[in-house]
Amino acid sequence: MATQTKDYYAELGVSRTSTDDQIKAAYRKLARKHHPDLNPGDKAAEERFKELQQAYDVLSNPETRKLYDQYGENWKVVQQTGQAPPPNWEGFRQQGPQQQSGGFDFSGFDFRGFRPGTTGEGFDIFEELFGRSGGTRQTGPHRGRDVEAELELSLEEAHTGGRRTLQLQSAETCPTCHGTGMVGEGQVCPTCGGQGQILKPKTIDVNIPAGMRDGSSVRLAGQGGAGLNGGPGGDLYLHIRLKPHPKFKVEGDDVEVEMALAPWEAVLGARIQVPTIDGRVEVNVPQGAQSGQRLRLRAQGLNKRKGGRGDEYVRLNIRVPKTVTAEEQRLYEELKRLSTFNPRAGSKAKGV
Amino acid sequence: MSEQFIRVIDCDLEQPLTLADVAEIVGARPTLISHLVRVGVLETISDESEEPLLRTRSVLRLRRMARLRRDLGVNFAGAAVILDLVDRIERLNREIEEMHSRSS
Repeated sequence: MATQTKDYYAELGVSRTSTDDQIKAAYRKLARKHHPDLNPGDKAAEERFKELQQAYDVLSNPETRKLYDQYGENWKVVQQTGQAPPPNWEGFRQQGPQQQSGGFDFSGFDFRGFRPGTTGEGFDIFEELFGRSGGTRQTGPHRGRDVEAELELSLEEAHTGGRRTLQLQSAETCPTCHGTGMVGEGQVCPTCGGQGQILKPKTIDVNIPAGMRDGSSVRLAGQGGAGLNGGPGGDLYLHIRLKPHPKFKVEGDDVEVEMALAPWEAVLGARIQVPTIDGRVEVNVPQGAQSGQRLRLRAQGLNKRKGGRGDEYVRLNIRVPKTVTAEEQRLYEELKRLSTFNPRAGSKAKGV
Repeated sequence: MSEQFIRVIDCDLEQPLTLADVAEIVGARPTLISHLVRVGVLETISDESEEPLLRTRSVLRLRRMARLRRDLGVNFAGAAVILDLVDRIERLNREIEEMHSRSS
């Protein structure tokens, strides 16, 4: 797909004559709507916010805004070379913001980490905000930023653990220009479009430990954003999300499953097959079982992180037939005549 | 395409860290972290030890708050409220999802 020329003013919904304050206000308003930290797991919001941030990065700086006003999307060439591009020059295409970030782009799962600034460095926001010298950021090895992502696991995967292959995009130094973004005399590198980095697909196998829960996290050391100047990579945090299971409801280490019983099974007791996370087991339903009653199957729940297992609870739900045969009808009538059972005896509800 | 096997490091987000540890990890001044604890933006672990401790989870929370502060112009107290509400919405959404998946 061809890269379209982006109008940064249109991105932010402001006019070319807008003041800095108006641009800031427009950006903040849109950021409130699309910020990835406010929309966890929403890829569309994340993409939209990246575009907003890219536009705001350019328009919030008087120097880059001036260049952008004059040269449009080619402003960066001018900034890097100090020269205006030749007429009809089309060699430069603005790359997606992820190429500036020096971080990861996740194709297989939600990307919650966020590019901290235009320098493509690690967690520099605190340094900017809280007075560490900006000058020191540019020199010496710099650790890559930490990246957070979501990983969805089935309940079975969380229970047993196991290998999981993840596809991700990692930013690497451009092999053509070796990270400078330029080739020859003032030519923008054709491989990376002047970004100095390219995205390469990477496959990693991750050994997920048994006993993961919704909200658990695992850390992959060095798999986050690439380090600068030989610095180590940041870490990748995978936040585990459990996919809802069609049968089991998870409560901590325990699982609950609902089982239907026929009225006579509830009255007389029964032996029924019940699913567990490892397969089916037979369970004795005691005589006089009630709807909503829970039977505990000890140590049939989820594996715990540090050994041991939770329990499974079987919630009983007594179902009655919607239609009955003539013979059944007769037997129910007989039961009605003989039985002294009154389900409403002792009920405090009025008018029942 | 390169293939590599990555060993997962047991990452216990509940693990206690000193305020100095947290400051070091996020690249902030220790005085800022102490201030955020004092004003209640970061919650310490209640513990018998005299030194206040934070959960490892606080590191991720601090980073999110810093991004919200930068991008939305809110202060730390505002960012903390936002994150609490986002967490609550996420929890409710998941409960709704689970209820839907069980009823379908």
